[in-house]
Amino acid sequence: MNQSSPQLSRLSYVINLGVVGVMLVAMMRVILMMMADGLYPLASALSAITVFLALVYLRRRFTPVRWFGIGIALALLFTLYPILFTLYLSVTNMGSGHLMTKPQAVDQLESQLYLPEGGQTYGWTAYESPGGNYALWLLPEEGPGLLAIPGQSIEAVTVGERGVGELDDDGIPESIEGYERLPVNRTVAIIPALGAIDFGKAPNTVRIRSLREAAELKQKYRYDDGQDAIVDEETGTLFKPLKGTFTSVEGEELTPGYIVYVGIKHFDHFIGNARFREPLFKIFGWNVAFAFWSVFLSFAVGLMVTLLFEGLPGSRLIRALLIIPWPIPVLISILIWRNMLNPDLGFVAPALESIFGSSPAWFQDAAWTRIGLIMVNVWLSYPYFYVISAGAIRSIPHEIYDAAVVDGAGHWNKFYHITLPLLLRILMPLLIASFTFNFNNFNVIYIFNFGRPPMPDTIVPMGQTDILISFVYRLAFINTNVTNYGLAAAITVMLFFLISMMVVFQVRFTNLFREAE
Amino acid sequence: MQKTRSSAMWYDDLLKQLRSHDWLSLIGRYAVALVLIAFAVAPALWVVSSSLNPAKSLGSGSLWPKHPSLVNYDELFNNDFFPYTTWLKNSLKIASISTAGTVTITCLAGYALSRFRFKGRRQFMIAILILNVFPSILGMVAIYTSIQQLGLYISAVGLDTHGSLILIYVAGSMGINVLMVKAYIDTIPVELDESALVDGASPWQTFRHIIFPIMRPIVITIGVLTFIAAYGDFVIARVLLKSSNQLTVMVGLLLFQTDRFDQDFGMITAGAVIAAIPIILIYIPLQRYVIDGLTAGSVKG
Repeated sequence: MNQSSPQLSRLSYVINLGVVGVMLVAMMRVILMMMADGLYPLASALSAITVFLALVYLRRRFTPVRWFGIGIALALLFTLYPILFTLYLSVTNMGSGHLMTKPQAVDQLESQLYLPEGGQTYGWTAYESPGGNYALWLLPEEGPGLLAIPGQSIEAVTVGERGVGELDDDGIPESIEGYERLPVNRTVAIIPALGAIDFGKAPNTVRIRSLREAAELKQKYRYDDGQDAIVDEETGTLFKPLKGTFTSVEGEELTPGYIVYVGIKHFDHFIGNARFREPLFKIFGWNVAFAFWSVFLSFAVGLMVTLLFEGLPGSRLIRALLIIPWPIPVLISILIWRNMLNPDLGFVAPALESIFGSSPAWFQDAAWTRIGLIMVNVWLSYPYFYVISAGAIRSIPHEIYDAAVVDGAGHWNKFYHITLPLLLRILMPLLIASFTFNFNNFNVIYIFNFGRPPMPDTIVPMGQTDILISFVYRLAFINTNVTNYGLAAAITVMLFFLISMMVVFQVRFTNLFREAE
Repeated sequence: MQKTRSSAMWYDDLLKQLRSHDWLSLIGRYAVALVLIAFAVAPALWVVSSSLNPAKSLGSGSLWPKHPSLVNYDELFNNDFFPYTTWLKNSLKIASISTAGTVTITCLAGYALSRFRFKGRRQFMIAILILNVFPSILGMVAIYTSIQQLGLYISAVGLDTHGSLILIYVAGSMGINVLMVKAYIDTIPVELDESALVDGASPWQTFRHIIFPIMRPIVITIGVLTFIAAYGDFVIARVLLKSSNQLTVMVGLLLFQTDRFDQDFGMITAGAVIAAIPIILIYIPLQRYVIDGLTAGSVKG
């Protein structure tokens, strides 16, 4: 670096400047458009990231950070920002009917049109291009004919202009270049399709109203800055903002609504509303039980595989077979289990029936679904616990056992008083991490039975085997008519809080931050 | 080495004791092994056997079909309902690009964190660790809504694009992966860098020609872990992708399952078998690296 010539470093600086400049301009454009649409959180995040990148790649002082500036930018946008944005969402009403910002909602309302009763009307004739596009020839009561094509302004056209051919007796062109005049019977057949097309260019568009008549469309809603309200141009009704919806005095509401701050409303749900709180606590209880039993049993089985088969003739083969679940992708494993336990498809139900005379309702009965879920999860994760406990046992110095043998301890005593406590000490951080992971093990819960069977009589849909994160998913993604991102985010915030507590717990058992030395 | 041998001896002792006990314990242990093996192997065996069973909708109840055939596989790749081949290609594409991106970013970052001293270095690593403790799945609502908003302005990273998915996977690499690479480079003697720098190489040349070539093991570990994670991811892909032709094979399989479960059960199992193959192919020769990666930090002492 010291040897590189000044010209070279100046050149690289200029290249840097150029690249950063282009990025700055492009990002500025996007950010300004976002600001105009009222997407302040995302616009601020992008601004911060842009400033960061510009500093890193221009200031000499930050040269070492250039090695991973892009990485940090991505992590900021897709790891840190979602956490902050979740906090923001949890105090908003974002959800179905309130998916946009206020400027976006106003834009969408202002683009709605209506067919006024009075307004200008025309007789019309349809033309079709080989590509399936339509054009209209409009004849007003008086005056010359007009050509109307979607996306182009409507204008009076004389013969010869824009490919318009000779007019017939009714004043309608025999032909328009690039289009074919449709006979009446054909036109009748496509009226539904034609009726959905806005001919012309906003704000002056024409839509057909009947076989005889087309009429000029008008903008239905207009946003009045001074009053901060929407005016219905057709009826004159005034719609004022009320909790994220433009609402008239009579209580009529306009869709779409928009995102507004609602304070701790969602959090109040957990505390104040018993019909919500009680089932949520049931979900929480099952969530803890699911994570605990998954870790406990997987660890037990993994440890058993480590200890029980040591030195047994054929143990290598036994272990090779026992590790088979590991490389199969999780989703596939769960799907297999689901089908295997299915009474009509799998072999498990017939097998159990022939032995016990009956087979459990794995997917309808909550208790059996829970047993199934834990069983599948143990199947998925004991190979991991086998591998880590085998590694940990190797690190226990054997001298410790010598003393025990002198004292006449049997192998059970050695296991219970030496191996197990030492193992737990070594593996506690991983066990807690695994608990945290299973606490949020969405895949198993969702893919096995979608959190079903449903809980009866809840205000929002909840499943008896839902855990918190699958409940979040249900609120946000399952039924798009009642999507509630705000509430889903509020529950996620609660999850962040719970996980932070688990991590504090984990840090006590480990030097989590040792890696940063 | 010494340590391993001594613990092996300890095991021998333990075994002699166990063996001397009685036959019953030996038989008991084999019995437990058999039960566990049945538990471990049955699902894999069953899915392969069902995929070879030409009877379309009903499981025969027996573990092996009477007339095995490949008709389900044939149908899987030539059916009118689901573009399975496209899904498979999408998954392999997304996983490969994410892997390449992750390896690039983590190697560069790991090198800088290991070799350069700059203000905020330690704080940065602590920040990585803290961010890393929150499972990315918690961000799903925020990620979905932000990607939707982002897509209004930059369509390449909007909903239903592979671009958004890849960026999210690569962003995830700025977690524990970077620290693993950094820890690995820490074990490479600094003298190697210094002699290269004395010879007039720039830091970039030093990294590119001296350090990167000897990082093979960690590059494979990171690469394999990323590929497996990206290929196997379900949630983010499920949330972000919508149209049938954009889906990954994991999301597609679940769609398959919920839509055509009754009609084409054999085809679904065939799809599951095929989808598992890339990961198994990677896993068998590179198992050591996977285990190294997943257990990093567990048995340090």
